[in-house]
Amino acid sequence: MQTAHTEVSSTTVLHLEGISKSFPGVKALNNMAIELRLGEIHAVCGENGAGKSTLMKLITGVYRPDSGTMSLNGAPLVVHNPNDAYAKGIAIIFQETSLFPELTVLENIFMGHEVLRPLLGGLAFLPVLDYPTMRAQAKEIFSRLGMDLDLDARVADLGVATKQMVEIAKALSFDSSILILDEPTAALTSREVATLFDTIGKLKAHGVSMLYISHRLDEIFQIADRVTVIRDGEHVHTEDVIKVTRDQLVSWMVGRTLHNLYPKEDVEIGEVVFEARDIRQEGKLGGVDLSLRRGEILGLSGLAGSGRTELALALAGLTERDSGEILIDGKPATFRDYRGAMARGIVYISEDRQKYGLVVPMSVSENITLPLLHRISGLAGIINRGKEGTISDRYIADLSIKTPGGDFVVNNLSGGNQQKVSVAKALAMEPRILILDEPTRGVDVGAKSEIHRIICALARSGKSIIMISSDLPEILGMSDRVIVMKGGLKVGELSRAELSQEKILELAL
Amino acid sequence: MSDKARASRRPRITYQVALGGLLVALILLFGAIEPVFFYPDVLFDVTSIVGEIGIMALAMTFIITTSGIDLSVGFILQLSAISFGAVFAGTGNLALAVSAAMVAGILCGFLNGLIISGTKIPPLVTTLATMSLFRGLSMILAGVNSFSGFPEGFKKISTTLLFGVVPIQFIYLIVLFLVFNLVYTRGRLGRHLKGIGFNENALIFSGIKTKRILLLIYTLSGFMAALASMVYLGRLSSAKTSMGNDLNLQVITAVVLGGTSIVGGIGSMSGTLIGVLIIGVLRKGFTLLNLSGNVFNFTLGLILIVALVIFAVLERRKALAGRTQPAAKT
Amino acid sequence: MSGKRKVSREAILGILVVAFMAFLALTSNFDSKSGIYSMMLDVSPSIVGAIAMSMVIITGNIDISAGTILGFVAFAAGSLAELGAPAWIFIPAGILMGICLAGLNGWISVTFKVPSIVVTLAMNMVHLGFYATFLPNAGWVENLKDNFTWLGRGRFFDLVPYIFVIALLVAVLFMYIMKNTSFGKSLYAVGGNRQAAIYAGINPDRTVIKVYLVEGLLLGVAGILKATTANEIMPSAFQGREMIFISAAVVGGVSILGGGGKVLGAVFGAFLVYLLSIAMIYLGFQDYFQFSLQGIIVLIAVFVTVTDFTELRKKLRGTFTRAGRARKARA
Repeated sequence: MQTAHTEVSSTTVLHLEGISKSFPGVKALNNMAIELRLGEIHAVCGENGAGKSTLMKLITGVYRPDSGTMSLNGAPLVVHNPNDAYAKGIAIIFQETSLFPELTVLENIFMGHEVLRPLLGGLAFLPVLDYPTMRAQAKEIFSRLGMDLDLDARVADLGVATKQMVEIAKALSFDSSILILDEPTAALTSREVATLFDTIGKLKAHGVSMLYISHRLDEIFQIADRVTVIRDGEHVHTEDVIKVTRDQLVSWMVGRTLHNLYPKEDVEIGEVVFEARDIRQEGKLGGVDLSLRRGEILGLSGLAGSGRTELALALAGLTERDSGEILIDGKPATFRDYRGAMARGIVYISEDRQKYGLVVPMSVSENITLPLLHRISGLAGIINRGKEGTISDRYIADLSIKTPGGDFVVNNLSGGNQQKVSVAKALAMEPRILILDEPTRGVDVGAKSEIHRIICALARSGKSIIMISSDLPEILGMSDRVIVMKGGLKVGELSRAELSQEKILELAL
Repeated sequence: MSDKARASRRPRITYQVALGGLLVALILLFGAIEPVFFYPDVLFDVTSIVGEIGIMALAMTFIITTSGIDLSVGFILQLSAISFGAVFAGTGNLALAVSAAMVAGILCGFLNGLIISGTKIPPLVTTLATMSLFRGLSMILAGVNSFSGFPEGFKKISTTLLFGVVPIQFIYLIVLFLVFNLVYTRGRLGRHLKGIGFNENALIFSGIKTKRILLLIYTLSGFMAALASMVYLGRLSSAKTSMGNDLNLQVITAVVLGGTSIVGGIGSMSGTLIGVLIIGVLRKGFTLLNLSGNVFNFTLGLILIVALVIFAVLERRKALAGRTQPAAKT
Repeated sequence: MSGKRKVSREAILGILVVAFMAFLALTSNFDSKSGIYSMMLDVSPSIVGAIAMSMVIITGNIDISAGTILGFVAFAAGSLAELGAPAWIFIPAGILMGICLAGLNGWISVTFKVPSIVVTLAMNMVHLGFYATFLPNAGWVENLKDNFTWLGRGRFFDLVPYIFVIALLVAVLFMYIMKNTSFGKSLYAVGGNRQAAIYAGINPDRTVIKVYLVEGLLLGVAGILKATTANEIMPSAFQGREMIFISAAVVGGVSILGGGGKVLGAVFGAFLVYLLSIAMIYLGFQDYFQFSLQGIIVLIAVFVTVTDFTELRKKLRGTFTRAGRARKARA
């Protein structure tokens, strides 16, 4: 691919300045700026949660900025919805698919902006679809992309990569001059990635400007002209790719120096209590080994989609593994589902507390006691409210959950307190092995360090913890040992002494 | 516990009170038009005519709380009654006939539960289809016959009057209500049902076997329909294929009217009981005023729609209020 | 790219219909002129109703009150005809009735965000009660004259009923509409991926109301087709028709979860549902087997469309094969 590192035009097509955007509890973007020039491939990179996707959703009208200005070709830009953005020549290929599975490729490409013609050549008030024109246009687009696709194939029957091509074709059908690609290679094989890059090169040759979001550095060096690094919702650096090195990019992404935010204390690490051997899951995990000691905090690092969560789910029996063995205290554990795993002391706390962790319209105490109702209810299944109150009050106090009372609805708590309820719920099961998936995502700084303190206290009390996190300082500050994953495989294991952000990123990218 | 906390825990209390007010107002209204309505035996008779729908509505509250629905209960009742009639006509053995009715009801409910928990077919489509299935089965079983001539002892299960005025259905309803209410408000099952209605994933991630719970409650619904069929038969004293046809809607109306949300999670067993009683008062009142069963069905359908609309509006207002309400600060 | 082009579901259904007819013709007197005639007579309203229901189901909704709406349509058209109104009055009147009632369903469901199943279930009851309470003689219209029944009884070449031709014309028209208009495409979009539909600039609420209006129009047509074949009209007798429409739609491959299905499939579905019921009668089963049969057909058809078979096969393989059992045992 020889399109990279060409002379960048000086004409600005899209310009964002001073953009800020907050969500309840999180400041996603702060005074963000980016400038896209004519015909360039502009990479945007940053850690998970740095604000890349939010930025793109602002440009395409999914969200509105709280403040700041956007302009397109020098004129102010206001976008109401993605179709409006399309009409203005800005197209996005979303991470989540926006296709209609039961419809054909052709129907998908023109959904919402069909080419119409008057019925019977003259009845202008009865517009019908002009299939010949659409077909010709679609053919032309695909030939521009250098591929031949059956326009009448049902999208549900296509592979992931082909679906992505359909999305790109859909974007191009608007005559877009700006194309935004959000992690387009996340689900692709390397062969498919090559095809995609080929396509991108052809588009560039046709004068399309592109924002290319990725945290895969290799890709950036392969195709991008310029790169912008975002960290914590803020603009860090924009530079010609040719002028930067990989290490420089990594250091910009990491940026932060480690402050003493992390209360990690050294606890005595005991014997191996949990062991997983050759865990496999078709298409997700390619044989992972892992061991965990008493009192140990094991960090699980890697990019989004590297198989961290998949591994956690498999270890907890929440998904079925194709093969592999789990040992507890050196003996094979034969649980077949999460209930069985819980009985053996394994508890998993989901990264998505709204969706999998909590029943948010229910009260704090109802949530905490949800998994252990069988323990606090009598023969007739009637809940002993006294015991329920005792348990929930204890954990509310232990984790200092800020709530007016145990019967306050979780929905009305702040993100940090919701997360604490999620942790309390897990602790109430009195686990030996705790798997925490992104325990501090979407939580403000104060609550974050409180959660860290709780995790440390748990380790001190002899529990073993697996902590998945995309937050590198957190992984560094908290872990006794770190396993780095990539593509469903364990690609490295670092002891606390060996840990550095650069090393982890090096392995993960 | 602060007042604010209490308010956010018990948002529906005013709705149920209003509903109780509506019940009283209806009684007063009918009584004003037709004073005979105030006679204790007439007033208590309300509970005898809603005995069967009350029994089914209790189980239906469980189901709707999980955001499911069972459209087939009326026809499970029918099939149970026909099974009872057919077996009794064939053998003359009452115990055998009762068992047949119970088995029929449980099997129907189990079939619903099996399909709903084991496949991706939504509850409404499942029970819409099994509704036809059960209806056909009872027609096949009965042909053009209707079964009657049940022993007096059997009829006593729904014709007994305590103290000369209180129908035995009143006792059934109160006892079953107490049990269901206890399970619903204080029991593990009740908690799980509300959880499923709000967010089934969170329960699965708490190690709760939600599919088993769904299987259980649809089977329970079938069992309660069989029970209801016995109470119904004792009163009507003949089993035929026209019975139960319009009970589905009455049961669902009672539950929705009682404040159980059709989208799941929120519900009230006492609301269901009041809903059932309102339906009973309407039916009794309409009979006294010589209005036909069709007027009643028409009114009922309207009430259901109005209840749904009011509920949707209340929910939306609450959602809006919730958004502006500040979260407890960390 | 896609070398192995699959035979379309509609083609399979079509072959099934023809095969079924051939089977019936060989094993019974179905091939007699009267057998063919009564099939065409009976299946015509079902075709139109199944198309109406399919469009609603494609958007992810349903209409349980379709049967009782037909009753209103028949009553409106029939009683106008009884007063001597000609076709150009009673046909639009019936259709208008359908549009209003179905439109009301859609409006309530969308405006108050109440699931369409519950709204239309309640409406079903309201309609039935309304017939008996407010319509003269419960809506019973007797002694329909030629000015009404010519439509249902007329035939071409002494064989093909007018209404069958009308039903086929409607089918062709709606096949064209679903394939060739933005409106048709938006139905699939809303039912298939609501979020993406919004991204594509489609307003789902408005689309759903529109689909109910169109459904009402078609129910108007179906109601008139059905009513004109009879001597008298009893609105409450139309209750239960909705199950035939739903069965035809799902048998025809319309996904109950929304987003997929074709008009042609629903047309074949209507034929299949009819042929199955005829077969039951020829095989000596009583009429009331229809109910059970319909229930079972719907369950099977829905199961087939909503189940991910590759996943199921994998699961079953794990349960029943020796390798799978061994693997499980090891795990």
